[in-house]
Amino acid sequence: MNEKAYEVAHIDDLDRFPVDNDELLWRPVRRKLGITAFGTNAYTAEKGHERVVEEHYERDGAEELYFVATGRATFTLGDEELDAPAGTFVYAEPGTKRGALAAEPNTTVVAFGAKRGVPHEISGWEEIFVAFGHLNNGHEDEGRKAITAAIAARPNEWPGHFNAACFESLTGNREATFEHLRRAIELDPKAAEAAQTDSDFDWLRDDPEFPA
Amino acid sequence: MSGTARLSDLAVQIGTGPRWAMVRTHFGIQAFGINAYVADEAGGQVISEHDELGERAGQHEELYFVADGHATFTVNGDEIDAPAGTFVFVRDPAAKRSAIAREAGTAVLIAGGKPGEAFTQSPWERNAPALAHWGTGDYEKAVEEFEKLRAETPDDAAVLYNLACAESLTGKRQDALDHLKRSVELDATFRDLAEKDSDFGAIREDPAFVSAIAGQPDSGGSSS
Repeated sequence: MNEKAYEVAHIDDLDRFPVDNDELLWRPVRRKLGITAFGTNAYTAEKGHERVVEEHYERDGAEELYFVATGRATFTLGDEELDAPAGTFVYAEPGTKRGALAAEPNTTVVAFGAKRGVPHEISGWEEIFVAFGHLNNGHEDEGRKAITAAIAARPNEWPGHFNAACFESLTGNREATFEHLRRAIELDPKAAEAAQTDSDFDWLRDDPEFPA
Repeated sequence: MSGTARLSDLAVQIGTGPRWAMVRTHFGIQAFGINAYVADEAGGQVISEHDELGERAGQHEELYFVADGHATFTVNGDEIDAPAGTFVFVRDPAAKRSAIAREAGTAVLIAGGKPGEAFTQSPWERNAPALAHWGTGDYEKAVEEFEKLRAETPDDAAVLYNLACAESLTGKRQDALDHLKRSVELDATFRDLAEKDSDFGAIREDPAFVSAIAGQPDSGGSSS
């Protein structure tokens, strides 16, 4: 192993992946720099009124600290609404509702997170988000590489295969879709349930060979 | 508990050097380390030179983020131009790292943790709650809290040094000299820090100050 002692990146150099139905522009930091001890990502709202932090709870135990790097955001924290200009930290304990909308163009929020009391584990969702981010940006091949990596990292967990099926369905590949979906269902029957309502499969759902 | 704070409000001047925002301590974060430093003048040190291997360090990998202004980092002798918006990630705990502010008001965040292990506070950061009293000027309270830390770890040079600072600021001349002397005996790096530290302004001209530091410094600071 001959890793460099350090890495450098400017926020403008980070990828821009539209995620969460294109409502959120995700800028992976941890992945870009190879950080392993904690999670770090940035989110940017270019126009100035869109979502810059997804509304969620981190019920699985991650502590999160947000820092408004540029622009201005309006955060929801529990029942409160908070004005957060550049230079503001917002800390959310696990289980507390949090989210933010940009209040100015080019608002960027940097998020740090990890769970208490356990070594940091890189989320299996990261490569899946990358895959769909590439796809949303029109880079299908890059996306497929990421989804393949996601499956390789967790070959016996259903979400990788299920998302690969979504990816192949969205890119018009019937056979590959069915293959991944069959494997996902084999690993966990809940994949069949999810496939029945996921709009990514709408064009294939009436196909007699649709596995779910 | 969940909450919000402005970096500019959290950053406290402690002795000389950059202002320190004790972000992790302020919010009670337990899953990762996070602090921030602000240099009020161009040319000032915003991250003091350190590695993550010493006895007070946490062996963390560290992520620096230039939140405002413009800094020049030096990592293992390499100079890195770092305008606002730059991330510098130092994965090697042995790498020497430091940063100078190129603009007044340069602010740098540092997040850290040890790969493969649950986060635990770095030994140097035990000093943070007592040092926070520099923000309000309640140095008597700081003396009280450093005395408690000293009772737990009598030979912690950083605790002794910080206790001496608080004692100097509250007019406890002899106690300050005794604790400074012991601190320098235990760790010679505190000598250089003491020579420049404005907290010793009241006793610096005292001949006993010179002999106290003749024997060895750093609040251990500028770390995650």
